[in-house]
Amino acid sequence: MISRNEENLKDLFEKFFDSEQAEQAVEDIHKAEQILREYPSPEPDDQLIANIKTDIAATLQHKKTGFPIKAVYKAAAVAAVLVLAAIIGVNLFQKDHSEPERLAKASIIPTAIWESYDIAADDADLATLTAEIEQVEGDVLSTQLGENSSNGLGESTELETELIEINSDFWKG
Amino acid sequence: MAENDDLVRIIIGCKRGDSECFSQLVDMYASRCYAYFYRLTGSTAVSDDLLSELFVRLVEKIGSFKGGSFESWLFKTASNIFNDHLRDKQREKRLLEAGKKQLESKEQPVKSFDNDKFDKLQTQLGRLDTDTREMIMLRFYSQLSFREISEMRSEPIGTTLSKLHRGLKKLRELMELHYD
Repeated sequence: MISRNEENLKDLFEKFFDSEQAEQAVEDIHKAEQILREYPSPEPDDQLIANIKTDIAATLQHKKTGFPIKAVYKAAAVAAVLVLAAIIGVNLFQKDHSEPERLAKASIIPTAIWESYDIAADDADLATLTAEIEQVEGDVLSTQLGENSSNGLGESTELETELIEINSDFWKG
Repeated sequence: MAENDDLVRIIIGCKRGDSECFSQLVDMYASRCYAYFYRLTGSTAVSDDLLSELFVRLVEKIGSFKGGSFESWLFKTASNIFNDHLRDKQREKRLLEAGKKQLESKEQPVKSFDNDKFDKLQTQLGRLDTDTREMIMLRFYSQLSFREISEMRSEPIGTTLSKLHRGLKKLRELMELHYD
């Protein structure tokens, strides 16, 4: 960066004007600046300078005392972020090592029914059906073994029809 | 060189928040900055306010000074403050024009000076447009080179040279016409 004192105005103007014009431009500038020097502007009042210095000192003091409060706010914000991150991290960690969560609350069917292996005990109709099926199965078995009568084929067909009817009645409700 | 070293030391002190260093900056630059504001506004009262604002802003912004020409940085800040003032004044003018026609005369460039004792130069400066006036004052009071001024104004150096030359020539002609 060339300072004003090192600046060669003639060389500078010659980059844009011919030599004669450059010389004239430099002369114009020097004369105008001489006029500016002949009319010095007023100086700032001493009281104004004193006030400015006082204001600066007050601003600096405010900045100094304001800094710890800012630091506290920043620290609080960082702490809050860390706590949140820790909570989220712990939750994620726990989920990784635990069984998948059941969506029990969304179901309208009691969880116990899904978990039970004793279907008959859960529903009266189911119990009746189960009993009838077991009875028919017993009858089929004994018929097939020829325990009840000699006309095994006819009884077997009859029992199958009865079984279909029971099943059908059950689904009809 | 020693003066430059002193300035570097003072700026480092300012960056650390040393009020004594700021006081030294005030002593070094208050006079020139005040003259710059006064020649642009023609009012000591306004110049008082602008100078105070400049140094308060200096305290707030000194951290953003990253080296280079301090004077260029300082007068760029001063120029911004002056332009902010102009915008406020124009806004005020529009408001006043809307409601009070009798206050129009307050905004005429040559008559805009308050009750301060203003000189012939100030009167003729008032005849130049604001941009030219500001450039002349920047050149005269900041003591920046043409290259620094052109960089500050983000314009080619040829443009700066041409505008300043025209402005100074016109000022000289006005002074000679009215007071010779």
